[in-house]
Parts: sequence; C-alpha cells; structure tokens
Amino acid sequence: MQKAQRLLDLAALLLRAAEPVSWREIQEQFPEDYGGSEEASIRKFERDKAELLELGIPVRYASGDEDLPAGYLIDKDDFYLPDLKLPPEDLALLYLAGSAALAGGAFPYARDLAHAMSKLSFAARAGGASEVAGLAAQRLGRGDAEEEPSRAAVVRGLEQLSQAVAAKKRVHVVYAGAERREVTERDVDPYGLYQKGGAWFLVGHCHLRKALRTFHLGRVRALTVNPAAPRTPDFQPRKDFRLADHATREPWEYALRGALACRIRLEPPVAPETVASFGPRARVREEERGGVTVELEATNPPALVRHVLSLERAEILAPRELRAEARAVLARLARRLS
Amino acid sequence: VSGGRKPPGAAPPAKPEARDRLRRVLFLVPYAVRHPGIPVKELARRCGVDEVELLDDLDFLLNVGCPPFAPDDFLDLYVEGDRVYVALHQSFTRPPRFTESEAASLAAAARALGGEGVERAVKALRDSVPRDRRQSFDELSERIYAGSPPARGSVLGRLQRAIAEGRAVRLTYYTASRQAESERTVRPYTLVGRLGHWYLWGHDPGRGRALPFRVDRIKECALTDERFEAPPEAELAPSRLFSEPSGEAVRLRLGPGALAWARERPGVRIVQEGPRGGVAEVAGVDAGWATRLALSFAGDAEVMAPPAARRHFAEAVRRALGRY
Repeated sequence: MQKAQRLLDLAALLLRAAEPVSWREIQEQFPEDYGGSEEASIRKFERDKAELLELGIPVRYASGDEDLPAGYLIDKDDFYLPDLKLPPEDLALLYLAGSAALAGGAFPYARDLAHAMSKLSFAARAGGASEVAGLAAQRLGRGDAEEEPSRAAVVRGLEQLSQAVAAKKRVHVVYAGAERREVTERDVDPYGLYQKGGAWFLVGHCHLRKALRTFHLGRVRALTVNPAAPRTPDFQPRKDFRLADHATREPWEYALRGALACRIRLEPPVAPETVASFGPRARVREEERGGVTVELEATNPPALVRHVLSLERAEILAPRELRAEARAVLARLARRLS
Repeated sequence: VSGGRKPPGAAPPAKPEARDRLRRVLFLVPYAVRHPGIPVKELARRCGVDEVELLDDLDFLLNVGCPPFAPDDFLDLYVEGDRVYVALHQSFTRPPRFTESEAASLAAAARALGGEGVERAVKALRDSVPRDRRQSFDELSERIYAGSPPARGSVLGRLQRAIAEGRAVRLTYYTASRQAESERTVRPYTLVGRLGHWYLWGHDPGRGRALPFRVDRIKECALTDERFEAPPEAELAPSRLFSEPSGEAVRLRLGPGALAWARERPGVRIVQEGPRGGVAEVAGVDAGWATRLALSFAGDAEVMAPPAARRHFAEAVRRALGRY
C-alpha cells in the first residue's frame, strides 16, 4: 500500500475508534504493511506515527486500565484544529501578517505558512485566508519558473535552511563574501534565520572561523544540508544564543573595533523612520525647533558614515575623524559630478 | 463510490510531493464538507492546485478508508456537474491542528508586523499546536526573526481593527515629498510588505484611488465611524505586489565594492559588470530613493539616469557637502 494512503487509513481508523486500538488489531487490519517481522513492523509503525505527528496528527499510546484496553488512539481534542478565540483585530493581524509574508515570496517555512493560512480559514472563519494560501501554494508549486534566478535561489535556500534549522542539521555553504570578495566553503550549524531590510540572513556557528557568523542569503552560491540521519540532530545551539541580538544589530554595531561615541544631527523636518533607522540602542534628543540629535556607540564606524550619508538632512557632528571622512566622500563625489 | 485497492508494493520513502498532497487533502476534505457543492474550480483554487490535480487528489481519496474496508468505510467525495460533494467524510471534518512549523512561521510573520494583540495571537497559535509539539514550537519561534514592527503597537492595533471592521481611519501622516505632516482619512484595505518596509494599502478619497502609505510614517491613527466594504482578496492580491515597476528605471554606476553589496539589495538588477564595477537598474523607485541608495555606498556609486534623477543626486551631494 502507498504510504500516503496508509497514513490516512491509519488516521481514519484511530479517529473513528471508540476506544484505543491494540497493536495486534492494527497489524491485523494492515497485514501487508505491518505483517513482517515484529521488530521491523514496529519500527515502520513508529515511523508512520512520527510522520502523522509531522502532519499535525498526534497518535498516542494509552496503557489501559479497568475500563479501557491498552492501545493507540487519536485524541480528538488534540487532533481537530480549534477555533482561535481571538478578537477580530488579532485575527486580522494574523491574516495580514501571513498574507504579506506569503506575497513577499521569500519566507522561512513558506509552504508551511501557506498551510497555516489554509487552516486559518477554518480556525478564524477568514475566507480570504484560504484564497491567499491557494495563490501562494500555486506559486510555490510552480517553483522557479516566474522568479528571477537570484530571487529563486534565496527562496530555495530559505526552504532548505528552514528544514535544517528545525532538524538541527549541519549545512555546507559556498559563500561569496562582500568585503573581501572571495568565495569560501564552510560547514555551518544553522542557529536561526532573520530578515532585515527585505533581505534574509543565516546566523550560525561557522566551523571555518570557529565562531558565530552571519551570512547574507543572497551571497550563498550553493547549499547542501547534511543528508545523513535526517531525524538525528547534528548539534545543539549555544545556550546563550539569542537571535534577536543579531537581528536587531545595526551594521555600525558589528564588533570590529572599540566603541566610538558618535553624535549625529538631523535637520527638521525629520521623518519618523529616519529616527527609527538608528535602532533601539540610539539615544534620541528632540530639539525645540524640530531637529533631532542622535547619540550612539559605533564599533564599525565606516558603516555609520554610509548610513548617515544615505539620509537626507543628516550630519555627523562627532567624532571629528568621522566628520572628516564624510566630508571627503562628498567632496570627491562633488568633483566627479561637476 | 469505493474504488478497488491498488496492488500491494514496497512503500516508497515519503517524497515532498506525497507529503504536500497529504497536507493538502487534510484541508480539502473538511473544506468540501463545510462547503457542499463547491465548484471544482473554486476548490482547486483554494487548495492551490489546478483542476486536473484536484481531480487526481479526489481519485486518491477514493482509496482511503479504514478497516475493515467495507463500502461505507471509505472516504467518498464525488463530482456532479462540476461540483464537489462529500458523501462519507470518515471524521475528517476539520483540519488537524497547526504543526509547529506552520504555527512558528505564522507567529514570526505576526511578530514582524506587531500590534497590541500580537502576543495574544501567538499564544492562541501555540495553543493550537498538539500538546506534544508545543515545546518544539517555542524552540522554533526563537529561530526565526522576520523583522521589527514598523510602528507603535497602538497605531498598528488600531489599523488592524479598522481593517477587520471595515472602518475608515484618520491618519497623521508624514509625507516625504512635502516633508510635512498632514491629516487624512483613508479606507484601509490591507497591509503589505515591500523592500523591507510595511505599507498600508488603502483608498484615499482625497485622491480618488487606492495608494500605499508607509506604516512607519504614520504617527497617529484614529478610527472613524465611516464604514466601507473592502475589495475582495482576488482584487487585493495584485496590490500586495504593488512594486509593479512603473516609469523609467533608475540607473546607477557602481564601483567594485558597491557592486557586491548592491547585488543582494531587493529590487536591484545588475545589468552590466566588469572588474572595475558595473551598472545597476532599479525599477519603480523615485530619484530620492536612488539617491539614498547611491550615497549609502559612500562615494562608490552614482546615479546616472534618467537626467532628473541625476540632477537630484548632484543636488543632494552639493547640499550635504554644504553642511560640512
């Protein structure tokens, strides 16, 4: 019997059963599948159980008591998707967030997210959710045909890395560094995935550098997940690892040198997103006339220069050497443009 | 209708397609139960497959049942006049609970959007995962970070409520082109993400059409009593990708260092490259955006075309230099 069919048959049997179904009975009902040697057929059944659980179908063993025989069962309460008892604005939040993430194309567990949206149409009676999910599933199913090749590679990489992060499997990465522009190969224990500025990054323990490293998915040239023992983890993430620390780190906060105290002035009118662009650790002081002064510590000052230059009406006040650097860049550009 | 069993054979390893099909039919069957007589086409759309694949799924389901496999022990979905009916559902009346990766993925998306109810929503998702898998959900949730919320929780909370209830909002909005705050009333349709930013997509009666508003430029948001009916999802879907490039693409000349960085910027297309740098094109952006991008490469990039964008760039460099 085909495995997909057997799994559904098994689920149907256990869902319908009024009491736990014994292993003997399961064997009798599926003689072709679980009829071999005892050890092999138990192993097969355990694998099937694991796969059912991965589909969201928990099969439980009840050890039996005076009233009920020992055996396997699917607890209906633990199987059927419950209604999400949430106010409409929270359901809207889930619906909007999921739809936007799917529309963006590149998102970890994108296929799972599409399934989640289908289920949301039940759990929240949000009819649109299954439509969004359907559109996304179709696009994911079509694969790369309509995507830009580089974009498609990121989508594919995210899918592989999502699985590797969940299963804690080591990955082998061919990576083109941006600064040194050299291509390196390395093994990485993938700890987590984060998004910043519309791009996705992998954080993990790099076996080449023997330290935590961040990788821009757009620069990953090739990626393979360790195929051996797919259900056995290759590593355990370090206990002190917090993904948010990496994800909210601004480029000038990369630890490349000692901290340099910097002051930036923003001329009015100041857009709220400009202030926000300095990140959660910047100290912000609003002036009376609408201008804003930002103070922060930079451990990678060139990145701060780049950021300030990219803002309209912004100026580095201190330290003097960064101010001079900004001026030099602008003067060079002005000469080229005149 | 109960089909005959396929001949026994060795069980092949679960291919991704087989797994996808299983997950699909676990939604398909309860959906068809809930919507008796749903057109084949409609059901296929909801399942994300074409009609041929859907009919193939229905064929597959005819073979699913439970022991002792008497006629009434099989699933029975049939098509009559292009519509799907369920005669026997074998208890597949609702989909299974969220798997941990389904819930964690949706939770990550929700946390990136934010709003007052976000932790409430994440908890509800967690409670909808089978008990045995909740710990895995917690672990996985800490492994994906899809971004920081674009505005204060209260602003987002009110926007979400307004979208859910179909009520117009009054916004205090910072308009970049006019460099000033203004008040305007908008019918909020949906929220969309693009190039790392969140936008409110809504109808602005003042301009007589739907427009994107950057969420991080919304300072205040208040619900009004004006009700409206949002367009259906099918109409909104294209707006989610409102990046459809319009107007002439902006061209930038990039030095070798900038080229490596620009390559990964979403929306940037490298059209020429060599050892001494290259040329990139960005569609659907204005001169201001291109100028900011070029300046972020600290002198290693210039805006080349169209002429208005180049003038904008030159002017920005001149003004910035004036500050130093």
